[in-house]
Amino acid sequence: MRSSFDQYFDDSQVFHGSLTEIMGTRFDLVIVGKSRDISGIVWQSMTRELERLDAMLNRFVPSTEISVINKTAATSPVNVSEEMWEILCNCRTYHQKTFGLFDITLKDFSKLELHAEERTVSFQQPNLFLDFGGYAKGYAMKQLKAILEDYKVENCFVDFGNSAIFALGHHPYGDSWKVSIENPFHKGEILGEFTLNNTALSTSGNTPSYTGHIVNPLSGEKIEDRVMLCVESEDPLDAEVLTTALIAADNHQTEKIVSQFDLKQTKKFNL
Amino acid sequence: MLKKTEKQVDLGLRQFIKDLGYISGGAALLSTIPWLQSFTPDTLNEIKNEKARIAVIGTGSRGQYHIHALLPMQHAEIVALCDIYPPNLEEASKLCPTARKYTDYRKLLESPDIDGVVIATPLNWHAPIVLDALSAGKHAFCEKSMALTMDQCKAIYDAYQKTNKVLYFCMQRMFDEKYIKGMQMIHSGLIGDVVGLRCHWFRNHDWRRPVPSANLERQINWRLYRDSSAGLMTELATHQLEVCNWATKRIPQSVVGMGDIVNWKDGREVYDSVSLTYRYSSGVKITYESLISNKFNGMEDQVLGNKGTMNLATGMYYLEGVDNTGNSGIEQLLSQIGNKVFAAIPAAGSSWRPETKKEYKPHYIIEGDYNINDGLSMIGAVKDGSDEILSAFCQACITGEKGKDIVEEAYCATLLCLLGNQAMDEQRRIDFPDEYKIPYMNF
Repeated sequence: MRSSFDQYFDDSQVFHGSLTEIMGTRFDLVIVGKSRDISGIVWQSMTRELERLDAMLNRFVPSTEISVINKTAATSPVNVSEEMWEILCNCRTYHQKTFGLFDITLKDFSKLELHAEERTVSFQQPNLFLDFGGYAKGYAMKQLKAILEDYKVENCFVDFGNSAIFALGHHPYGDSWKVSIENPFHKGEILGEFTLNNTALSTSGNTPSYTGHIVNPLSGEKIEDRVMLCVESEDPLDAEVLTTALIAADNHQTEKIVSQFDLKQTKKFNL
Repeated sequence: MLKKTEKQVDLGLRQFIKDLGYISGGAALLSTIPWLQSFTPDTLNEIKNEKARIAVIGTGSRGQYHIHALLPMQHAEIVALCDIYPPNLEEASKLCPTARKYTDYRKLLESPDIDGVVIATPLNWHAPIVLDALSAGKHAFCEKSMALTMDQCKAIYDAYQKTNKVLYFCMQRMFDEKYIKGMQMIHSGLIGDVVGLRCHWFRNHDWRRPVPSANLERQINWRLYRDSSAGLMTELATHQLEVCNWATKRIPQSVVGMGDIVNWKDGREVYDSVSLTYRYSSGVKITYESLISNKFNGMEDQVLGNKGTMNLATGMYYLEGVDNTGNSGIEQLLSQIGNKVFAAIPAAGSSWRPETKKEYKPHYIIEGDYNINDGLSMIGAVKDGSDEILSAFCQACITGEKGKDIVEEAYCATLLCLLGNQAMDEQRRIDFPDEYKIPYMNF
């Protein structure tokens, strides 16, 4: 069951909000240096936005727009909302720029047809479905970033289930936000450290308890290598999409993909 | 008639016990399950040319369940059957036509060619038949619970101290591989200190059998009447309370509870809804619940430790701490700010997990296939240890080796059931009475 929790520390002017079971994970927000009231309003707007997006993009809930598309697009073209249309076009662009390695169909993007005039989508193959697993959190982060800017929040740490992080400004006792990456196969072993300052960090990879959930859409094979990939960028969506795409890419592909984006850094760890 | 099969049905568990001997620490593990020490393929091989001559007393559904288990057993042979209800005796006789038929168990016990009896009668008959069987020099295997009253249980326990005969009660969880392995994990400290136990058994069924004529009601639906049954406690809870004793190696000191007839108001005398709390001297409690007009919660035996939870009935366990909750990155960040410290916030590829029940990741007690008892059958579940314990009894009929701790465990569990009923009937806390304590018990 979803639950929301928040607290405010007067002496340090720190707000912490936490939301469970949103987009399949937990969401945390830490705001520094804003009043209790402003922080509370920001938190409410963010919660509402996340719930709205979850109700559009979560394919595991039958009533969502994505579920309706998945259920009917193989039989007849489905009219989609303006926002969904933008998202699908955007996913197509990412698909092209990553040479097919980012693919919301997980197997054959060419079977997804987008009809611009009617703003409809259809599947040219039965058993096709769309999955925003490698996209939704990045998209949500981008939306949330806009909310933070609206309320002129300068210092905050936004965390989506540990795998998508976005930080504005700096830690109250530092000049940035520092995040260390731990090897999931060896507790306590620090693989690297990232210094975030108005940037987003997305991480993906296999862990001992969760292996084989990433599929190479070109070969259809599950990626079971013990690797972890981190992408840092000012654009949270680029970071999120590329971390999924690059985990399947070879060195040559990685170079070509990375050159098309304005990334701060990418790191691949062999575990 | 069924043919004796080449493969013993219980070889899986026998091999498991044998393998324990080969691993480091295996001997220590084996000492926690002393009743299984000689339950090995080698012992079975030693007795391969011998057969235990078995009589089945009580050939209703559960008796026939045992007959089906006995028929393929190489080291057993059914030589006699006994029941006072002719249709059940006839049905059993079809399964083993060469077995002699009796309607009086005393006559059956006079027969010298019987090594052991399997007793699957209503609960009120357990004590008289067990005691008579032991005096007649027969080994005995009796269904749970031990007996209808505490005095009867004590009489059986006392008689067992004086006899050289083998006595088993069908506490089948003691022979169920996932319970055995789960207990070894508990005793090795995997889930930390046991801080609580939660057991329940839910069904949605009236617990009745069809009655051909009204005068047979009390005989056929014996489970529903106080002079032949102690209800849900002795029929269901007994297995689960045994599990609690096994896990804690202790016996609760006191019990409170409430029992009612909530749904099946059909003239029955036993509760169809029971809720009890058993308390150990340490303050650790067993929460026990059974209801037979809603099956949503199914049947579960949960041992709660401060480091994890063992869900024995489903064969899974869950760990507290790092896997699920731990000190998450955000908590560390907040604590840093509180302490005016700037440091890196740990993040890993795996997601931080919220502290909800749903997010606990299950671990399996046994790798590969295993059976789960959904608790719905009124006769017995598939591969729940019943066949193994019966096989062990038949082996003991040949070797004469007593089953270590089995009578004691059955005694303790049954006493707890009956004390629970007393607490519910008298609506007060019952402390474990001194006169029924035995040296085996640790409080």
